[in-house]
Amino acid sequence: MAVTVQHHHRRRFPAGLIAKHAVINLGVVIILLPLIWVLLMSVKSLPESYTTNFWPRQFDFSHYGFVLTRIQTLPQNMFNSIFVTLATVAITTFCAILGGYALVHVRLPGRMLLIWLLIASLFFPTRLLSLISIYEIQRQLGLLNTVVGLIFPYVTLNLAVSILIMRGIFEQLPHELVEASRIDGCGPWRTLFLVLLPLLLNGIVVVSMVNFVGVWGEYLLAVTLTNDQATRTLPVVLASAHSGMGQWAYPRIAAVYVIAVTPGIIIFALFQRLYFKGLTEGAIKL
Amino acid sequence: MATVASRVASVARTWRSTYRPNDYANLLFLIPATFFFVGWQIYPIIRVFVLSFTDYKYLERNPPNFVGLQNYINALNDPLFHVGMLRAFAFTIAFVPLTILIPLVLAVLIDRVTSPWLSSFYRIVLLIPAVIPGPLVFVLWKWLFDFQIGPINTFLVEWLGLFTRQTAPQWLGGTPLSLPAVIIMEVWWGLGYHTMFFLAGLAAVPKDLSEQARIDGANEWQLFWRVIVPRLLPILSILVVLRFGTAMSVIDEYLIFGGFQRTSPTYTWTVYMYDLAFRIGDWLQGYAAAIGWLGAAVMMVFVIGMLYVFRSRD
Repeated sequence: MAVTVQHHHRRRFPAGLIAKHAVINLGVVIILLPLIWVLLMSVKSLPESYTTNFWPRQFDFSHYGFVLTRIQTLPQNMFNSIFVTLATVAITTFCAILGGYALVHVRLPGRMLLIWLLIASLFFPTRLLSLISIYEIQRQLGLLNTVVGLIFPYVTLNLAVSILIMRGIFEQLPHELVEASRIDGCGPWRTLFLVLLPLLLNGIVVVSMVNFVGVWGEYLLAVTLTNDQATRTLPVVLASAHSGMGQWAYPRIAAVYVIAVTPGIIIFALFQRLYFKGLTEGAIKL
Repeated sequence: MATVASRVASVARTWRSTYRPNDYANLLFLIPATFFFVGWQIYPIIRVFVLSFTDYKYLERNPPNFVGLQNYINALNDPLFHVGMLRAFAFTIAFVPLTILIPLVLAVLIDRVTSPWLSSFYRIVLLIPAVIPGPLVFVLWKWLFDFQIGPINTFLVEWLGLFTRQTAPQWLGGTPLSLPAVIIMEVWWGLGYHTMFFLAGLAAVPKDLSEQARIDGANEWQLFWRVIVPRLLPILSILVVLRFGTAMSVIDEYLIFGGFQRTSPTYTWTVYMYDLAFRIGDWLQGYAAAIGWLGAAVMMVFVIGMLYVFRSRD
Protein backbone atom coordinates (compact mmCIF):
# COMPACT_ATOMS: atom_id res chain seq x y z
CA MET A 1 0.00 0.00 0.00
CA ALA A 2 2.70 2.41 1.05
CA VAL A 3 4.66 1.56 -2.08
CA THR A 4 1.81 2.39 -4.43
CA VAL A 5 1.17 5.67 -2.65
CA GLN A 6 4.83 6.48 -2.97
CA HIS A 7 4.69 5.62 -6.65
CA HIS A 8 1.58 7.65 -7.24
CA HIS A 9 3.18 10.50 -5.39
CA ARG A 10 6.40 10.39 -7.34
CA ARG A 11 4.72 10.33 -10.73
CA ARG A 12 2.83 13.58 -10.21
CA PHE A 13 5.72 15.19 -8.45
CA PRO A 14 7.26 17.25 -11.29
CA ALA A 15 4.02 18.90 -12.44
CA GLY A 16 3.12 19.82 -8.87
CA LEU A 17 6.65 21.02 -8.22
CA ILE A 18 6.65 23.25 -11.28
CA ALA A 19 3.21 24.65 -10.49
CA LYS A 20 4.25 25.35 -6.92
CA HIS A 21 7.40 27.22 -7.86
CA ALA A 22 5.58 29.01 -10.66
CA VAL A 23 3.01 30.39 -8.24
CA ILE A 24 5.62 31.36 -5.66
CA ASN A 25 7.78 33.02 -8.27
CA LEU A 26 4.82 34.91 -9.63
CA GLY A 27 4.43 36.31 -6.11
CA VAL A 28 8.14 37.16 -5.99
CA VAL A 29 7.96 38.95 -9.36
CA ILE A 30 4.84 40.89 -8.36
CA ILE A 31 6.58 42.04 -5.21
CA LEU A 32 9.85 42.98 -6.87
CA LEU A 33 8.66 44.57 -10.13
CA PRO A 34 7.33 47.85 -8.69
CA LEU A 35 10.54 48.29 -6.71
CA ILE A 36 12.73 47.51 -9.71
CA TRP A 37 10.67 49.92 -11.79
CA VAL A 38 11.25 52.81 -9.39
CA LEU A 39 14.94 51.92 -9.08
CA LEU A 40 15.32 52.00 -12.87
CA MET A 41 13.32 55.23 -13.07
CA SER A 42 15.86 56.86 -10.77
CA VAL A 43 18.68 56.20 -13.24
CA LYS A 44 16.91 57.23 -16.44
CA SER A 45 17.82 60.40 -18.26
CA LEU A 46 15.28 63.22 -18.05
CA PRO A 47 13.93 62.87 -21.61
CA GLU A 48 13.72 59.11 -21.31
CA SER A 49 11.77 59.36 -18.07
CA TYR A 50 8.78 60.58 -20.07
CA THR A 51 8.82 57.49 -22.28
CA THR A 52 7.42 54.13 -21.32
CA ASN A 53 10.70 52.20 -21.51
CA PHE A 54 11.13 49.80 -18.67
CA TRP A 55 14.89 49.31 -19.08
CA PRO A 56 16.82 52.58 -19.52
CA ARG A 57 18.79 52.90 -22.75
CA GLN A 58 21.33 54.98 -20.95
CA PHE A 59 22.08 55.06 -17.25
CA ASP A 60 22.17 58.48 -15.64
CA PHE A 61 23.14 58.49 -11.96
CA SER A 62 23.22 62.26 -11.60
CA HIS A 63 19.76 62.49 -10.05
CA TYR A 64 20.99 61.26 -6.68
CA GLY A 65 23.56 64.06 -6.52
CA PHE A 66 20.93 66.53 -7.69
CA VAL A 67 18.32 65.70 -5.06
CA LEU A 68 20.87 65.69 -2.25
CA THR A 69 22.37 69.06 -3.13
CA ARG A 70 20.00 71.07 -5.31
CA ILE A 71 16.56 70.58 -3.79
CA GLN A 72 16.59 73.17 -1.08
CA THR A 73 14.91 71.68 1.92
CA LEU A 74 15.53 68.04 1.15
CA PRO A 75 18.60 67.54 3.39
CA GLN A 76 16.59 69.18 6.16
CA ASN A 77 13.62 66.87 5.49
CA MET A 78 15.89 63.84 5.60
CA PHE A 79 17.44 65.02 8.82
CA ASN A 80 13.94 65.52 10.28
CA SER A 81 12.96 61.98 9.37
CA ILE A 82 16.15 60.46 10.75
CA PHE A 83 15.95 62.48 13.96
CA VAL A 84 12.28 61.73 14.64
CA THR A 85 12.72 58.06 13.82
CA LEU A 86 15.81 57.50 15.98
CA ALA A 87 14.31 59.36 18.93
CA THR A 88 10.99 57.53 18.70
CA VAL A 89 12.56 54.11 18.30
CA ALA A 90 14.84 54.69 21.29
CA ILE A 91 12.08 56.01 23.56
CA THR A 92 9.51 53.40 22.58
CA THR A 93 11.97 50.53 22.95
CA PHE A 94 12.93 51.81 26.40
CA CYS A 95 9.27 52.12 27.48
CA ALA A 96 8.50 48.69 26.01
CA ILE A 97 11.37 46.97 27.84
CA LEU A 98 10.27 48.44 31.18
CA GLY A 99 6.61 47.72 30.45
CA GLY A 100 7.15 44.15 29.25
CA TYR A 101 9.33 43.44 32.29
CA ALA A 102 6.72 44.86 34.65
CA LEU A 103 4.01 42.70 33.09
CA VAL A 104 5.98 39.47 33.48
CA HIS A 105 8.68 39.50 36.12
CA VAL A 106 7.57 41.73 38.97
CA ARG A 107 4.46 41.75 41.12
CA LEU A 108 2.11 44.35 39.80
CA PRO A 109 -1.38 45.28 40.88
CA GLY A 110 -3.93 45.08 38.07
CA ARG A 111 -1.59 43.29 35.71
CA MET A 112 -4.22 41.36 33.77
CA LEU A 113 -6.35 44.47 33.38
CA LEU A 114 -3.39 46.30 31.85
CA ILE A 115 -2.69 43.45 29.44
CA TRP A 116 -6.34 43.40 28.33
CA LEU A 117 -6.35 47.15 27.85
CA LEU A 118 -3.24 46.93 25.70
CA ILE A 119 -4.75 44.19 23.55
CA ALA A 120 -8.09 45.98 23.29
CA SER A 121 -6.33 49.14 22.10
CA LEU A 122 -5.07 47.19 19.06
CA PHE A 123 -8.66 46.75 17.89
CA PHE A 124 -9.73 50.34 18.40
CA PRO A 125 -9.06 53.10 15.83
CA THR A 126 -7.08 55.08 18.39
CA ARG A 127 -4.78 56.81 15.93
CA LEU A 128 -7.68 58.19 13.95
CA LEU A 129 -9.85 59.39 16.83
CA SER A 130 -7.09 60.94 18.93
CA LEU A 131 -5.87 62.99 15.98
CA ILE A 132 -8.52 65.69 16.39
CA SER A 133 -7.40 66.61 19.88
CA ILE A 134 -3.69 65.90 19.43
CA TYR A 135 -3.62 68.96 17.19
CA GLU A 136 -4.98 71.06 20.05
CA ILE A 137 -2.59 69.51 22.59
CA GLN A 138 0.40 70.17 20.38
CA ARG A 139 -0.65 73.78 19.93
CA GLN A 140 -1.06 74.31 23.66
CA LEU A 141 2.37 72.80 24.29
CA GLY A 142 3.90 74.92 21.53
CA LEU A 143 4.81 71.77 19.63
CA LEU A 144 2.79 72.49 16.51
CA ASN A 145 4.92 72.69 13.37
CA THR A 146 8.02 71.40 15.18
CA VAL A 147 9.95 68.24 14.46
CA VAL A 148 10.51 67.44 18.16
CA GLY A 149 6.76 67.64 18.74
CA LEU A 150 6.10 64.73 16.41
CA ILE A 151 8.01 62.38 18.72
CA PHE A 152 5.32 62.40 21.43
CA PRO A 153 2.38 61.11 19.39
CA TYR A 154 4.76 58.87 17.41
CA VAL A 155 5.82 57.02 20.55
CA THR A 156 2.22 55.98 21.21
CA LEU A 157 1.62 54.69 17.66
CA ASN A 158 3.21 51.29 18.26
CA LEU A 159 3.73 51.40 22.01
CA ALA A 160 0.99 48.91 22.91
CA VAL A 161 2.20 46.37 20.38
CA SER A 162 5.82 46.93 21.44
CA ILE A 163 5.01 46.27 25.09
CA LEU A 164 3.12 43.11 24.13
CA ILE A 165 6.04 41.90 22.01
CA MET A 166 8.49 42.52 24.85
CA ARG A 167 6.12 40.75 27.21
CA GLY A 168 6.27 37.73 24.90
CA ILE A 169 10.08 37.84 24.95
CA PHE A 170 10.21 38.18 28.75
CA GLU A 171 7.90 35.20 29.10
CA GLN A 172 10.52 33.08 27.32
CA LEU A 173 13.11 33.91 29.99
CA PRO A 174 13.20 31.44 32.88
CA HIS A 175 11.89 32.69 36.22
CA GLU A 176 14.81 30.87 37.84
CA LEU A 177 17.10 33.51 36.38
CA VAL A 178 15.15 36.28 38.07
CA GLU A 179 15.01 34.24 41.25
CA ALA A 180 18.77 33.61 41.23
CA SER A 181 19.42 37.27 40.67
CA ARG A 182 17.16 38.13 43.58
CA ILE A 183 18.99 35.71 45.86
CA ASP A 184 22.23 37.41 44.83
CA GLY A 185 20.73 40.58 46.21
CA CYS A 186 19.66 42.38 43.06
CA GLY A 187 16.53 44.47 43.16
CA PRO A 188 14.09 44.41 40.24
CA TRP A 189 15.88 47.25 38.45
CA ARG A 190 19.34 45.74 38.66
CA THR A 191 17.92 42.36 37.65
CA LEU A 192 16.50 43.92 34.53
CA PHE A 193 19.53 45.92 33.45
CA LEU A 194 22.35 43.62 34.53
CA VAL A 195 20.91 40.13 34.09
CA LEU A 196 18.06 40.21 31.58
CA LEU A 197 18.93 43.00 29.16
CA PRO A 198 21.55 41.03 27.17
CA LEU A 199 18.98 38.28 26.62
CA LEU A 200 16.45 40.61 25.04
CA LEU A 201 18.26 41.21 21.76
CA ASN A 202 15.63 39.48 19.55
CA GLY A 203 12.86 41.46 21.12
CA ILE A 204 14.74 44.74 20.86
CA VAL A 205 15.38 44.10 17.17
CA VAL A 206 11.72 43.34 16.47
CA VAL A 207 10.41 46.28 18.48
CA SER A 208 12.91 48.62 16.83
CA MET A 209 11.94 47.38 13.37
CA VAL A 210 8.22 47.70 14.03
CA ASN A 211 8.70 51.25 15.27
CA PHE A 212 11.16 52.13 12.56
CA VAL A 213 8.71 51.09 9.86
CA GLY A 214 5.83 52.82 11.62
CA VAL A 215 7.59 56.13 12.12
CA TRP A 216 9.97 56.42 9.18
CA GLY A 217 7.01 56.58 6.81
CA GLU A 218 4.37 58.13 9.07
CA TYR A 219 2.16 60.47 7.05
CA LEU A 220 -1.14 61.38 8.73
CA LEU A 221 0.23 63.04 11.89
CA ALA A 222 3.15 64.62 10.08
CA VAL A 223 0.98 66.20 7.39
CA THR A 224 -1.50 67.43 10.01
CA LEU A 225 0.91 68.73 12.65
CA THR A 226 3.54 70.42 10.48
CA ASN A 227 3.08 72.85 7.64
CA ASP A 228 6.44 74.44 6.78
CA GLN A 229 8.49 72.72 4.15
CA ALA A 230 11.46 72.84 6.58
CA THR A 231 9.66 70.94 9.34
CA ARG A 232 8.27 68.24 7.08
CA THR A 233 9.44 64.67 6.97
CA LEU A 234 10.35 62.66 3.87
CA PRO A 235 7.00 60.88 3.35
CA VAL A 236 5.08 64.14 3.39
CA VAL A 237 7.53 65.70 0.93
CA LEU A 238 7.30 62.65 -1.32
CA ALA A 239 3.52 62.53 -1.19
CA SER A 240 3.30 66.16 -2.29
CA ALA A 241 6.03 65.90 -4.94
CA HIS A 242 3.91 64.36 -7.64
CA SER A 243 4.15 67.00 -10.31
CA GLY A 244 6.84 65.51 -12.52
CA MET A 245 8.21 68.97 -13.33
CA GLY A 246 11.43 70.88 -12.61
CA GLN A 247 13.20 69.83 -9.46
CA TRP A 248 10.58 67.14 -9.04
CA ALA A 249 11.09 65.55 -12.46
CA TYR A 250 10.22 61.85 -12.32
CA PRO A 251 13.76 60.42 -12.01
CA ARG A 252 14.44 62.85 -9.18
CA ILE A 253 11.34 61.80 -7.25
CA ALA A 254 12.40 58.22 -7.88
CA ALA A 255 15.88 58.95 -6.50
CA VAL A 256 14.38 60.43 -3.32
CA TYR A 257 12.13 57.41 -3.14
CA VAL A 258 15.01 54.97 -3.39
CA ILE A 259 16.88 56.93 -0.72
CA ALA A 260 13.79 56.77 1.52
CA VAL A 261 13.14 53.06 1.10
CA THR A 262 16.67 51.67 1.15
CA PRO A 263 17.54 52.11 4.86
CA GLY A 264 14.64 49.91 5.94
CA ILE A 265 15.55 47.16 3.50
CA ILE A 266 19.23 47.27 4.53
CA ILE A 267 18.44 47.21 8.24
CA PHE A 268 16.06 44.34 7.66
CA ALA A 269 18.65 42.42 5.64
CA LEU A 270 21.24 42.89 8.40
CA PHE A 271 18.97 41.80 11.21
CA GLN A 272 16.64 39.39 9.43
CA ARG A 273 17.79 36.34 11.41
CA LEU A 274 17.17 38.05 14.75
CA TYR A 275 14.00 39.59 13.36
CA PHE A 276 12.42 36.27 12.37
CA LYS A 277 13.46 34.72 15.66
CA GLY A 278 12.03 37.58 17.66
CA LEU A 279 8.88 37.60 15.54
CA THR A 280 8.12 33.95 16.29
CA GLU A 281 8.97 34.38 19.98
CA GLY A 282 7.13 37.63 20.50
CA ALA A 283 4.42 36.26 18.20
CA ILE A 284 1.74 38.89 18.79
CA LYS A 285 2.67 41.65 16.34
CA LEU A 286 0.13 41.79 13.55
CA MET B 1 11.04 13.67 40.59
CA ALA B 2 8.21 14.64 42.83
CA THR B 3 10.52 16.54 45.14
CA VAL B 4 12.06 18.40 42.20
CA ALA B 5 8.60 19.29 41.00
CA SER B 6 7.47 20.48 44.39
CA ARG B 7 10.68 22.44 44.82
CA VAL B 8 10.09 24.16 41.49
CA ALA B 9 6.56 24.87 42.60
CA SER B 10 7.74 26.33 45.88
CA VAL B 11 10.35 28.45 44.08
CA ALA B 12 7.58 29.63 41.82
CA ARG B 13 5.50 30.50 44.88
CA THR B 14 8.36 32.41 46.47
CA TRP B 15 8.93 34.17 43.19
CA ARG B 16 5.34 35.21 43.08
CA SER B 17 5.72 36.93 46.40
CA THR B 18 9.24 38.15 45.66
CA TYR B 19 8.66 41.86 45.46
CA ARG B 20 5.37 41.79 47.25
CA PRO B 21 5.92 44.57 49.82
CA ASN B 22 6.82 46.94 47.00
CA ASP B 23 3.94 46.15 44.66
CA TYR B 24 3.08 49.77 44.07
CA ALA B 25 6.74 50.74 43.72
CA ASN B 26 6.83 48.41 40.74
CA LEU B 27 4.37 50.64 38.98
CA LEU B 28 7.42 52.85 38.40
CA PHE B 29 8.28 50.57 35.48
CA LEU B 30 5.12 51.69 33.74
CA ILE B 31 5.61 55.41 34.22
CA PRO B 32 7.39 56.13 30.91
CA ALA B 33 4.78 54.24 28.89
CA THR B 34 1.92 55.74 30.89
CA PHE B 35 3.21 59.26 30.29
CA PHE B 36 2.92 58.84 26.51
CA PHE B 37 -0.29 56.80 26.61
CA VAL B 38 -2.12 59.28 28.80
CA GLY B 39 -0.84 62.41 27.08
CA TRP B 40 -1.23 61.42 23.46
CA GLN B 41 -3.77 58.63 23.41
CA ILE B 42 -6.08 58.36 26.41
CA TYR B 43 -6.55 62.07 27.09
CA PRO B 44 -7.13 63.00 23.43
CA ILE B 45 -9.66 60.20 22.98
CA ILE B 46 -11.60 61.24 26.06
CA ARG B 47 -11.35 64.86 24.97
CA VAL B 48 -12.70 63.95 21.52
CA PHE B 49 -15.55 62.12 23.24
CA VAL B 50 -16.40 65.23 25.28
CA LEU B 51 -16.14 67.46 22.21
CA SER B 52 -18.61 65.26 20.38
CA PHE B 53 -21.38 66.67 22.62
CA THR B 54 -20.51 70.29 21.80
CA ASP B 55 -20.61 72.56 18.78
CA TYR B 56 -16.86 73.13 19.13
CA LYS B 57 -15.26 74.81 16.14
CA TYR B 58 -11.50 75.03 16.36
CA LEU B 59 -11.07 78.39 14.63
CA GLU B 60 -13.98 80.11 16.35
CA ARG B 61 -13.20 82.43 19.24
CA ASN B 62 -16.47 81.88 21.15
CA PRO B 63 -16.49 79.09 23.72
CA PRO B 64 -18.31 75.96 22.55
CA ASN B 65 -21.85 75.15 23.69
CA PHE B 66 -23.07 71.84 24.98
CA VAL B 67 -25.48 70.44 22.39
CA GLY B 68 -26.22 67.01 23.83
CA LEU B 69 -26.74 64.34 21.23
CA GLN B 70 -27.37 66.79 18.41
CA ASN B 71 -24.10 65.96 16.60
CA TYR B 72 -24.91 62.27 16.71
CA ILE B 73 -28.45 62.87 15.44
CA ASN B 74 -27.07 65.02 12.64
CA ALA B 75 -24.50 62.38 11.75
CA LEU B 76 -27.13 59.66 11.59
CA ASN B 77 -29.06 61.79 9.12
CA ASP B 78 -26.01 62.90 7.16
CA PRO B 79 -25.89 61.28 3.69
CA LEU B 80 -22.12 61.86 3.53
CA PHE B 81 -21.66 59.84 6.70
CA HIS B 82 -23.86 57.03 5.34
CA VAL B 83 -22.04 56.85 2.04
CA GLY B 84 -18.73 57.16 3.89
CA MET B 85 -19.52 54.14 6.03
CA LEU B 86 -20.72 52.17 3.01
CA ARG B 87 -17.54 52.96 1.10
CA ALA B 88 -15.42 51.82 4.04
CA PHE B 89 -17.43 48.59 4.21
CA ALA B 90 -17.12 48.06 0.44
CA PHE B 91 -13.35 48.37 0.70
CA THR B 92 -13.17 46.12 3.76
CA ILE B 93 -15.33 43.36 2.32
CA ALA B 94 -13.28 43.21 -0.87
CA PHE B 95 -9.90 43.65 0.78
CA VAL B 96 -9.93 41.41 3.85
CA PRO B 97 -10.62 38.05 2.11
CA LEU B 98 -8.02 38.76 -0.59
CA THR B 99 -5.33 39.84 1.81
CA ILE B 100 -5.85 36.69 3.85
CA LEU B 101 -6.51 34.00 1.25
CA ILE B 102 -3.73 34.85 -1.22
CA PRO B 103 -1.01 34.84 1.46
CA LEU B 104 -2.51 31.65 2.92
CA VAL B 105 -2.09 29.81 -0.39
CA LEU B 106 1.38 31.25 -0.84
CA ALA B 107 2.38 30.20 2.66
CA VAL B 108 1.17 26.63 2.14
CA LEU B 109 3.24 26.45 -1.05
CA ILE B 110 6.38 27.97 0.47
CA ASP B 111 6.05 25.70 3.47
CA ARG B 112 6.61 22.75 1.11
CA VAL B 113 9.74 24.14 -0.51
CA THR B 114 12.39 21.67 0.54
CA SER B 115 15.53 23.54 -0.44
CA PRO B 116 16.53 25.65 2.59
CA TRP B 117 18.28 28.19 0.37
CA LEU B 118 15.23 28.79 -1.83
CA SER B 119 12.92 28.78 1.14
CA SER B 120 14.82 31.56 2.92
CA PHE B 121 15.19 33.48 -0.35
CA TYR B 122 11.40 33.47 -0.78
CA ARG B 123 10.88 34.53 2.81
CA ILE B 124 13.25 37.48 2.53
CA VAL B 125 11.76 38.73 -0.73
CA LEU B 126 8.26 38.42 0.68
CA LEU B 127 9.07 40.53 3.68
CA ILE B 128 10.50 43.43 1.68
CA PRO B 129 7.14 45.22 1.28
CA ALA B 130 6.54 44.81 5.01
CA VAL B 131 9.60 46.91 5.82
CA ILE B 132 8.51 49.69 3.47
CA PRO B 133 6.37 52.10 5.49
CA GLY B 134 2.75 52.31 4.33
CA PRO B 135 2.67 55.90 3.08
CA LEU B 136 5.78 55.24 0.98
CA VAL B 137 3.99 52.26 -0.52
CA PHE B 138 1.01 54.49 -1.33
CA VAL B 139 3.21 57.12 -2.96
CA LEU B 140 4.83 54.46 -5.13
CA TRP B 141 1.54 52.89 -6.19
CA LYS B 142 -0.08 56.21 -6.94
CA TRP B 143 2.71 56.56 -9.42
CA LEU B 144 2.35 53.03 -10.79
CA PHE B 145 -1.35 53.70 -11.39
CA ASP B 146 -0.71 57.00 -13.16
CA PHE B 147 -2.78 57.31 -16.34
CA GLN B 148 0.04 58.44 -18.60
CA ILE B 149 3.39 57.36 -17.26
CA GLY B 150 2.27 54.61 -14.88
CA PRO B 151 3.78 51.24 -15.76
CA ILE B 152 0.51 49.44 -15.01
CA ASN B 153 -1.24 51.10 -17.90
CA THR B 154 1.87 50.69 -20.03
CA PHE B 155 1.71 46.98 -19.30
CA LEU B 156 -2.00 46.78 -20.14
CA VAL B 157 -1.64 48.82 -23.33
CA GLU B 158 1.74 47.90 -24.77
CA TRP B 159 2.29 44.38 -23.49
CA LEU B 160 -1.17 42.92 -23.27
CA GLY B 161 -2.79 45.19 -25.85
CA LEU B 162 -6.04 45.26 -23.89
CA PHE B 163 -6.54 48.99 -24.28
CA THR B 164 -5.23 51.90 -26.28
CA ARG B 165 -3.59 54.87 -24.58
CA GLN B 166 -6.91 56.71 -24.78
CA THR B 167 -9.12 53.94 -23.45
CA ALA B 168 -6.72 52.78 -20.72
CA PRO B 169 -8.24 52.59 -17.25
CA GLN B 170 -8.35 55.75 -15.13
CA TRP B 171 -7.26 54.37 -11.79
CA LEU B 172 -6.90 57.63 -9.94
CA GLY B 173 -8.81 60.84 -9.42
CA GLY B 174 -11.93 59.48 -7.76
CA THR B 175 -13.12 57.20 -10.57
CA PRO B 176 -14.90 53.97 -9.61
CA LEU B 177 -11.58 52.21 -10.25
CA SER B 178 -9.96 54.05 -7.32
CA LEU B 179 -11.30 51.42 -4.97
CA PRO B 180 -9.83 48.39 -6.79
CA ALA B 181 -6.61 50.39 -7.13
CA VAL B 182 -6.35 50.83 -3.37
CA ILE B 183 -7.26 47.18 -2.84
CA ILE B 184 -4.59 45.90 -5.24
CA MET B 185 -2.00 48.07 -3.55
CA GLU B 186 -3.01 46.98 -0.05
CA VAL B 187 -2.92 43.31 -0.98
CA TRP B 188 0.59 43.81 -2.41
CA TRP B 189 1.67 45.54 0.75
CA GLY B 190 0.32 42.83 3.07
CA LEU B 191 1.33 39.90 0.85
CA GLY B 192 4.66 39.19 2.48
CA TYR B 193 3.70 40.05 6.00
CA HIS B 194 0.66 37.85 6.13
CA THR B 195 2.48 35.02 4.36
CA MET B 196 5.15 35.13 7.07
CA PHE B 197 2.46 35.03 9.64
CA PHE B 198 0.90 31.89 8.20
CA LEU B 199 4.33 30.32 7.77
CA ALA B 200 4.90 30.72 11.49
CA GLY B 201 1.57 29.00 12.08
CA LEU B 202 2.33 26.23 9.57
CA ALA B 203 5.63 25.53 11.29
CA ALA B 204 3.55 24.39 14.25
CA VAL B 205 1.56 21.85 12.17
CA PRO B 206 3.31 18.50 12.68
CA LYS B 207 4.72 17.19 9.41
CA ASP B 208 3.70 13.57 10.06
CA LEU B 209 0.09 14.72 10.35
CA SER B 210 0.10 15.67 6.66
CA GLU B 211 2.03 12.50 5.80
CA GLN B 212 -0.53 10.38 7.61
CA ALA B 213 -3.40 12.10 5.83
CA ARG B 214 -1.71 11.46 2.46
CA ILE B 215 -1.21 7.81 3.27
CA ASP B 216 -4.89 7.62 4.21
CA GLY B 217 -5.64 8.75 0.68
CA ALA B 218 -6.41 12.43 1.16
CA ASN B 219 -5.67 14.59 -1.86
CA GLU B 220 -3.95 17.96 -1.53
CA TRP B 221 -7.24 19.82 -1.54
CA GLN B 222 -8.69 17.76 1.30
CA LEU B 223 -5.39 18.05 3.13
CA PHE B 224 -5.57 21.83 2.89
CA TRP B 225 -9.15 22.10 4.16
CA ARG B 226 -9.19 19.28 6.72
CA VAL B 227 -5.70 19.41 8.19
CA ILE B 228 -4.08 22.77 7.54
CA VAL B 229 -6.97 25.22 7.75
CA PRO B 230 -8.28 23.91 11.12
CA ARG B 231 -4.77 24.18 12.54
CA LEU B 232 -4.43 27.76 11.34
CA LEU B 233 -7.91 28.78 12.47
CA PRO B 234 -6.78 30.69 15.58
CA ILE B 235 -4.29 32.78 13.58
CA LEU B 236 -6.79 33.20 10.75
CA SER B 237 -9.56 34.49 12.95
CA ILE B 238 -7.39 36.96 14.85
CA LEU B 239 -6.02 38.22 11.54
CA VAL B 240 -9.52 38.65 10.10
CA VAL B 241 -10.61 40.73 13.09
CA LEU B 242 -7.49 42.89 13.13
CA ARG B 243 -7.55 43.48 9.39
CA PHE B 244 -11.24 44.32 9.56
CA GLY B 245 -10.38 47.00 12.11
CA THR B 246 -7.50 48.47 10.14
CA ALA B 247 -9.42 48.30 6.85
CA MET B 248 -12.46 50.13 8.24
CA SER B 249 -10.32 52.94 9.64
CA VAL B 250 -7.96 53.36 6.68
CA ILE B 251 -7.21 57.01 5.94
CA ASP B 252 -3.63 57.70 4.76
CA GLU B 253 -4.03 55.90 1.44
CA TYR B 254 -7.37 57.60 0.78
CA LEU B 255 -5.85 61.02 1.41
CA ILE B 256 -2.89 60.24 -0.84
CA PHE B 257 -4.97 58.58 -3.58
CA GLY B 258 -8.21 60.49 -3.66
CA GLY B 259 -7.76 63.68 -1.64
CA PHE B 260 -10.93 65.41 -0.52
CA GLN B 261 -13.08 64.86 -3.56
CA ARG B 262 -16.47 63.95 -2.13
CA THR B 263 -17.64 61.82 -5.03
CA SER B 264 -14.56 59.61 -4.90
CA PRO B 265 -15.01 56.06 -3.54
CA THR B 266 -12.05 56.89 -1.30
CA TYR B 267 -13.99 59.63 0.54
CA THR B 268 -14.99 57.41 3.46
CA TRP B 269 -16.14 58.33 6.96
CA THR B 270 -12.50 58.66 8.05
CA VAL B 271 -11.71 61.19 5.31
CA TYR B 272 -14.97 62.99 6.08
CA MET B 273 -13.98 63.20 9.75
CA TYR B 274 -10.58 64.61 8.82
CA ASP B 275 -12.15 67.02 6.35
CA LEU B 276 -14.55 68.33 9.02
CA ALA B 277 -11.88 68.59 11.70
CA PHE B 278 -9.15 70.33 9.74
CA ARG B 279 -10.54 71.83 6.55
CA ILE B 280 -14.24 72.64 6.40
CA GLY B 281 -15.42 76.06 7.61
CA ASP B 282 -14.14 76.92 11.07
CA TRP B 283 -12.95 73.32 11.55
CA LEU B 284 -16.11 71.66 12.88
CA GLN B 285 -14.30 69.49 15.40
CA GLY B 286 -17.34 68.84 17.58
CA TYR B 287 -19.19 67.30 14.67
CA ALA B 288 -16.03 65.53 13.45
CA ALA B 289 -15.64 64.02 16.91
CA ALA B 290 -19.20 62.63 16.77
CA ILE B 291 -18.55 61.17 13.30
CA GLY B 292 -15.33 59.58 14.59
CA TRP B 293 -16.93 58.05 17.66
CA LEU B 294 -19.95 56.85 15.73
CA GLY B 295 -17.76 55.18 13.11
CA ALA B 296 -15.61 53.64 15.83
CA ALA B 297 -18.73 52.37 17.62
CA VAL B 298 -20.05 50.70 14.47
CA MET B 299 -16.64 49.09 13.97
CA MET B 300 -16.53 47.89 17.55
CA VAL B 301 -19.94 46.22 17.22
CA PHE B 302 -18.57 44.17 14.33
CA VAL B 303 -15.23 43.50 16.04
CA ILE B 304 -16.87 42.26 19.22
CA GLY B 305 -19.34 40.21 17.19
CA MET B 306 -16.51 38.57 15.28
CA LEU B 307 -14.47 37.93 18.41
CA TYR B 308 -17.56 36.27 19.87
CA VAL B 309 -18.09 34.09 16.81
CA PHE B 310 -14.41 33.14 16.67
CA ARG B 311 -14.04 32.57 20.42
CA SER B 312 -12.15 29.40 21.21
CA ARG B 313 -14.63 26.75 22.27
CA ASP B 314 -12.29 24.63 24.36
